Amino acid sequence: MKNKLDMIERIIKSKNVSEYEIYSTESRIYETEFLKTRVGSERQVNDFDYFIRILNQIDGGTGIGIVKGNQLEENKIEETVDDCIKLSQINEDSKYILPSPQSYPKIQPSSKDVLDNPLKVITDLSEMIKSKISNLEKTQSTFGRLRLHIDDIYLLNSSGLDLASTKSYFYLEFAIKAEREKKLSEFWDVEYISRLSDLDLINRIEQWSEYALANLNAKEPISNKKATVIFSPGLLKDAFAPVIGFHSSGKAYHDNQSFFKESQEIADSKLSILDNGLLDGGLKTNPWDGEGNPHQKIKMIDKGIFINRLFDQKYAILENRKSTGNGIRTPSGTIENTISNLEIEAGDTSLKEMISNINEGYLIEKCSWLNPDKYSGSFGTEIRNGYYIKNGKLDTAIKGGNLSGNVLEMIKNCVFISKERKFSGNSYLPYIAFSNLDISS
Amino acid sequence: MAQKSYEEILSIFDEISKNYKRKNQYFDILYDSISFLSIRKTPSEETISINKDKSGIVARTYTDRWKEFAVDNLSDMDKLETHIPKVSSQDNKLAIQEGWKLNKEVEVEIDPKEISLQQKIEKIRLIFESLKKYDERIVNPIIAYAELLTTRIFVNNEGCQLRQVIPRIRVFIQPIAKEEGVVDFDYRSVGGEIGFEIFKGIENKLEQFAQNSLDMLKADKPPSGKYPIILDPDMAGLIAHESFGHGLEADQILRDRSYLQDLLNKQVASKISNIYDAPNISNKYGSYFFDDEGIKAEKNLLVENGILKNFIHNRLTASELNTEPKGNGRRESYAHPLHVRMTNTYFGSGDYELDEMISEIKKGVILNRGYFGMEDPLGGGLQVTSKKGYLIENGEKTKLLKATTLSGSVLKLLKNINAISKDDLKLKPGTCGKGYEDFVPVTSGGSYIRVKSALISPG
Repeated sequence: MKNKLDMIERIIKSKNVSEYEIYSTESRIYETEFLKTRVGSERQVNDFDYFIRILNQIDGGTGIGIVKGNQLEENKIEETVDDCIKLSQINEDSKYILPSPQSYPKIQPSSKDVLDNPLKVITDLSEMIKSKISNLEKTQSTFGRLRLHIDDIYLLNSSGLDLASTKSYFYLEFAIKAEREKKLSEFWDVEYISRLSDLDLINRIEQWSEYALANLNAKEPISNKKATVIFSPGLLKDAFAPVIGFHSSGKAYHDNQSFFKESQEIADSKLSILDNGLLDGGLKTNPWDGEGNPHQKIKMIDKGIFINRLFDQKYAILENRKSTGNGIRTPSGTIENTISNLEIEAGDTSLKEMISNINEGYLIEKCSWLNPDKYSGSFGTEIRNGYYIKNGKLDTAIKGGNLSGNVLEMIKNCVFISKERKFSGNSYLPYIAFSNLDISS
Repeated sequence: MAQKSYEEILSIFDEISKNYKRKNQYFDILYDSISFLSIRKTPSEETISINKDKSGIVARTYTDRWKEFAVDNLSDMDKLETHIPKVSSQDNKLAIQEGWKLNKEVEVEIDPKEISLQQKIEKIRLIFESLKKYDERIVNPIIAYAELLTTRIFVNNEGCQLRQVIPRIRVFIQPIAKEEGVVDFDYRSVGGEIGFEIFKGIENKLEQFAQNSLDMLKADKPPSGKYPIILDPDMAGLIAHESFGHGLEADQILRDRSYLQDLLNKQVASKISNIYDAPNISNKYGSYFFDDEGIKAEKNLLVENGILKNFIHNRLTASELNTEPKGNGRRESYAHPLHVRMTNTYFGSGDYELDEMISEIKKGVILNRGYFGMEDPLGGGLQVTSKKGYLIENGEKTKLLKATTLSGSVLKLLKNINAISKDDLKLKPGTCGKGYEDFVPVTSGGSYIRVKSALISPG
């Protein structure tokens, strides 16, 4: 890999470019797809991408060219570099300089076992899954996917950055079906999991089965305009990550769209929310962000008070601040100012206690797609798997009906936060009960 | 990948393919190359990125399962035989399809290659300025322009030798408005397998786009509950695609995971409903000449007069279910898996006037501007969200409404369709995921559809 980068750098330098960055990923992907209880397909991918950014300093701003390539013939790289130079001369963006070398945390975002023998890891895990789903008694697996990613990531720039990191993580998607007297129900889960130790496949499959079985008796919820609802960690991630991430960003602040003002109370005092790029087991954990600034652990909201904004290099320069390591690389090579890993501090109530303290409400595990409007915080979604809570106990399973609300209002109406926390993608979150949500059916 | 002509690639692939005997195993190999240009402009950023010819190859074989190997370098093809072993005397059950040949490129009116980068950027900047200066409450006009050129070359051990080159363009305009702590917007997304002529339909409508966003600031919250509703073509398309179409993807039948699997030739919608999936409509965003398994693109009548007539297939599902595929085996790229996917999915038109449909509703809602949806192939559940809508009171459109979520049972909704407008087919471009990933370009649409009663709530 280093040879590839050296070649690209040599060609860039030969064009007398003084400010440049090369970011590359070399990916190996191993996937098993299950059709019911047998293996339906096996897939292996070797993929390589590089991104070049070239800067052209102009009066009052910077022109930035961004090009993505994957071909390594010299003439192709030259063409790519020429395009990048041309783009940097046409583009007009705000003032930007590339990050310089800094002190980076010592964290390892990959599992040694996985790196040593990925094929064995995926084969063994596939066998484990196959054995478990073949022996399910009351439920059936309809399909599933297990995928292992290993990414070698490199970043070097003209300011002296020369960084390398290897990440490994899993993708897991399964649908478990329950059937009784022509009635059907399902639990369909999708997760990215960073650590091998967090896969916990046997327990996961058993939990999915329980949810699917519970849903056989599911009823539609009772309409209620001021319902108390416990959000599962996965559902909470879907609600919070886009909205809190957006309003906490330097970009939203600069564009006059953030509803969060520093030192202002914006949420219930029980709530403390962090951006944690160093989280052990976090999907986006890495010593450095997509531009080469160190990842950090930053408390954005402390006991309901908004205290820290998240910046990437661009918006840090615009606002005369320092980057917080929140420049996240997108698949097209651009940088997005957003969260790395979202973490909420645990509460002091167990989930069981939370439920027992709710006279009437809901625990919702999964919705169809909670996809909030990041600007306004509003959302509306269909309930897929949940429970009605009555007199402090889980009562009937619920499915169907709509859950509506607004994330920016929800965070002010936080009733309980659980002690237990779970990973879900790039989030490590508790269960949280919110009041004043709209359930309709 | 080393620069090679189509003929050279074809020759290499043919040579490799001949080594795999069809009576023992099915084998195919796909070369996939994509180039794109993306320009995004907002008040605080102007981002231009180019991807010049990202290419790779995926080879696969079928014996009793698929085995697939993908690389981004032709020189890695020597690893192929290790990863895709040859087998001898295997009872291969995948139905044979007759090989065919094609070498075709989609032509456009104004080739984007003839327009300089400077001109493209100036065009985006002009649109941005027009929106920004329309009203100071337009705080964040977002313009995104994307130009893609996809080349796919396909060879298999049944005699297919295929090549297609497909250009796609998409423009997304989102003028975000803000006033007294309220933020909202309307948006417009246009696209197709067309060229730079895409801007002809946009430039004279910019003031309207901006005003639409400003109007949303004063829009009311939609009601919650069951109401008669009218779906605009966007929303009708979302129903046809998200809520209904995904349940017809026949891999869900092999998985025993489709609520529609036992309903072939049965009534699934009202008698006035006809639904299609058609990858062969010229110049639409989801169109092509052949799918990623080398199957010719053909129109598929899914529902006729409310009766379910066909499922949507790839090679494997068609083989297992004893029918013919119509070109719905697709992958996002060589590095992504192949699944049964939709293309251009839509309701056929009816014979009502829209005004007539509205006049017959005492209290209801029109849902406009389909925003997003999610499938529920087993349960047949429905979740689609519109960006805006209108209240209907005593047969008239009254208040503008904010985002609205529609949910319930797909079959109940389809059977409750009681009017479809006679408007010409409108198809909106988008990208479709299989679940939560693996995105392919599609369109969906139709005409206006009225449903007797459906559950809505704020979205």
